Amino acid sequence: MTALKNMLKMPVAAALLAGTALAAQPAVAAGLTVARSVDADGLDIHKVSTTQSMQVTNLLFDTLLTMDRSGGIHPGLASGYTLSEDGKTYVFTIRDGLKCHDGSAFDAAAVKFNIDRALDPATVSPNASSWGPIDSVAVEGSTVTVTMKSPYGPFTAFLAGMQSGLMCPSSVAGAEFTPIGTGPFKLVSWTRNDRIELAANPDYVNFSPLIENPGKPHLDTLTIMVVPEAVARMAALRSGEVDMVEPSLEEAADLKDDDAFKVYAADLSGQQVFAAFTWKIAPLDNPNVRKAIGMAMNRDAYATIGFEGLVDVANCPVAPNLFATDEEKCASWGVSYDPEAAKALLAEAGYGPDKPLKVKLLVHKLQGWDQMHQIMQQDLAAIGVEAEIETREVAAFFDYMGTVNGKAEGEPAVWTMGMSGADPDYLYFLWKQPGFTNMGLSDTMDAELEAQRALSGDARAAKVQEIQQYLLENAYAVPLVSPGWGWLMASTAKVDGFKMGHMVTLLFNDVTVTE
Amino acid sequence: MREKVAAQPPDEGGGTRGLPLTRPSGTLSRKGRGGPPSRPRRQTDVETWVAGMITLIARRIATAFMTILAVVVLSGLLVHVVPGDPVTAMMAQSVTASPEVMAEMRSQLGLDLPVWQQVARYAGGVLTGDLGTTIRGNEPVARLLLERLPNTFILAASGLGVALVLGVPLGFIAAINRGRLADTAVMIIAVLGVSIPGFWLGLAMIQIFSLKLGWFPVAGTNARNLVLPALTLGLIYCALVARMTRSALIEILAEDYIRTARARGLREREVLLVHALKPALISIVTVVGLVFAYLMGGQVIIENVFSWNGIGRLAIQAMLQRDYPMIQGFIVVFATSVVVVSMSLDILYGILDPRMRQR
Repeated sequence: MTALKNMLKMPVAAALLAGTALAAQPAVAAGLTVARSVDADGLDIHKVSTTQSMQVTNLLFDTLLTMDRSGGIHPGLASGYTLSEDGKTYVFTIRDGLKCHDGSAFDAAAVKFNIDRALDPATVSPNASSWGPIDSVAVEGSTVTVTMKSPYGPFTAFLAGMQSGLMCPSSVAGAEFTPIGTGPFKLVSWTRNDRIELAANPDYVNFSPLIENPGKPHLDTLTIMVVPEAVARMAALRSGEVDMVEPSLEEAADLKDDDAFKVYAADLSGQQVFAAFTWKIAPLDNPNVRKAIGMAMNRDAYATIGFEGLVDVANCPVAPNLFATDEEKCASWGVSYDPEAAKALLAEAGYGPDKPLKVKLLVHKLQGWDQMHQIMQQDLAAIGVEAEIETREVAAFFDYMGTVNGKAEGEPAVWTMGMSGADPDYLYFLWKQPGFTNMGLSDTMDAELEAQRALSGDARAAKVQEIQQYLLENAYAVPLVSPGWGWLMASTAKVDGFKMGHMVTLLFNDVTVTE
Repeated sequence: MREKVAAQPPDEGGGTRGLPLTRPSGTLSRKGRGGPPSRPRRQTDVETWVAGMITLIARRIATAFMTILAVVVLSGLLVHVVPGDPVTAMMAQSVTASPEVMAEMRSQLGLDLPVWQQVARYAGGVLTGDLGTTIRGNEPVARLLLERLPNTFILAASGLGVALVLGVPLGFIAAINRGRLADTAVMIIAVLGVSIPGFWLGLAMIQIFSLKLGWFPVAGTNARNLVLPALTLGLIYCALVARMTRSALIEILAEDYIRTARARGLREREVLLVHALKPALISIVTVVGLVFAYLMGGQVIIENVFSWNGIGRLAIQAMLQRDYPMIQGFIVVFATSVVVVSMSLDILYGILDPRMRQR
């Protein structure tokens, strides 16, 4: 077994900084109240899947590894790891002296407990498949050895993401689950669907490169409320009842230019919005017809008008800033806005003013998206494609797409969706047969998607790009914008230091509130 | 509703009207329902009353039970008819599960069974007092609902209180000024109340009283937070109460005994407050049941607007997430509350109006 990587130890400087930071703390208790639209489903990290749930679990639980702004992997609760040459065996060294919220120690055995519990079929964890093909987990002193059945490239990115937060075993000691972790905040109380009260963890030690504060958060308390109605959330922000809210798109656009408020847009969201096709149904089985439709799409207008300039145009089938994602290369592989060329392609395929192509535009309701779809409809009309918009509510939409994508005949449809993750491996869940809502492509694509999982480093990067190139050159996906949902936060100007991390984590460690 | 409106006798003997022992039986105006029975002895009278009440209560409870059971089955079928699957809804936009894991989740939740089996299983659970656990978060549905039920009832009762305090006098004013300006004004208010969407009024209240005036907080669940949602509900449903009060009173004012009272030279105030108001209030009691049902429905939205931690908010969230056990649990509790309240009012009405017992 060769040591490929051996990463930093806990820097001494950080510990010194922690001392000064504590000394500089104001005497009065600092609190922050945040209002979101939806509550966490649960705080048991092994059983939740929504962003809103993990935004909270991520405050309670730390991860084995961490990720910097450009997707680089750094130490977390593990001070380092080694990977065997065959790519199947990881050995993690767990730091000494890690302390849980209840005072118990977090050690190598706790890591094994988490992996075992997440993979236990009885847990039915929605993230079970993301852990990869784990064969065995062994503990020896302060090391954890994870052996895979086959190499699994996305593993380290997964271990740095909020889906793999690690709880302390004492969480399940009682009759009911109590979230106990090593994270920057500990749970005080939770009234489901109403509010979550958190208190700073005085013993916290930070490992994330996204955070400056080395120790205990500057805030003493953090309250995460649920205020479902967007107008009410904004009223609560404006009246000073809360310090930070999840704003509506329109409100965020207004607040941007107001000095009394700050607007935050997650740039590391890992979210990608794209258009796809019912490519089994003629004439969308013809790549040129799909390309023509892609060329009609004025993505700049979607970003600047539809999304009020709060998102960027994105060129890859996965979000910018993810591993192996190269926006420039993607731009060269995919279609670009060119209505005239689009008309020519359609004419070649036998469509023109006398015989217009009629498609459905299947979408689900979401702010920003609604405006985008209207512009899109106009764009398609401009190249002579009659698109009829059919809007569904989100759960009904994906249910319907499962049916539509399974069919080889019927009305051709263009549809839009968004997907997010901390690693381009979400391509696997989308495009590998049968795929999410039956959008899987082919046996060849399946093999490619499996292959990228088995590689790591540069070899994996090359394979991931190959897959992206294929999806773009054949116009199975037309990337539109990034991010696209739940990526905005707004606060009063007195809040300082708030950040959003990968997959829209909410980072409060550096937050201070000036009166 | 209309036929329940009690036409009370012009009984100037005082006494508690409607109570059996002082009821001057035989003098009831029984329009088109045959003559009165021969005057019974007092002892038999009590027995008849008790027997009548027991029959009434038993019958109402049986009906209530059947209603709730029907609601459980029908709503169970309906939630499955609505397109969308809870597992897909969970994965929308950050899929982390392979199709196999999703299938496993479905089978664990029993979502792969035929709909009739799922409904039968659920109905069986309800009969044994088990409302199941939520799909999101795996919490006992019954506990989530029970924790919030007091909040929901506090808000419903406050809203109903406001509706009655505003609606009854308004309806009264409209009825005695029938056809005049005051009547028209009240009816315009009533039409507005029926037409203004609750969420809009709620948001307007927030803009005015929370943001502009800063009197009340926007979101939360405590005493100060109660004012705005209760007022919103009250304003909306006072319109319904006003209309019902108005029509009940107009009907009563056309009764013979009112004319008699007036003919006997009683002052108008006395006619209205003594002879007309009491029977009108009895009919309002039954209206309250109806208003309560409407109010509970409207409250689902109001709880959401004001972030009031009641069962309505659970319901909306559950519907978006297709959390079937949670939606059904809400429907069961909601239907039960409405049925229990209207049943209690029916029984109360039976006590107040002796004719109800004989049906």
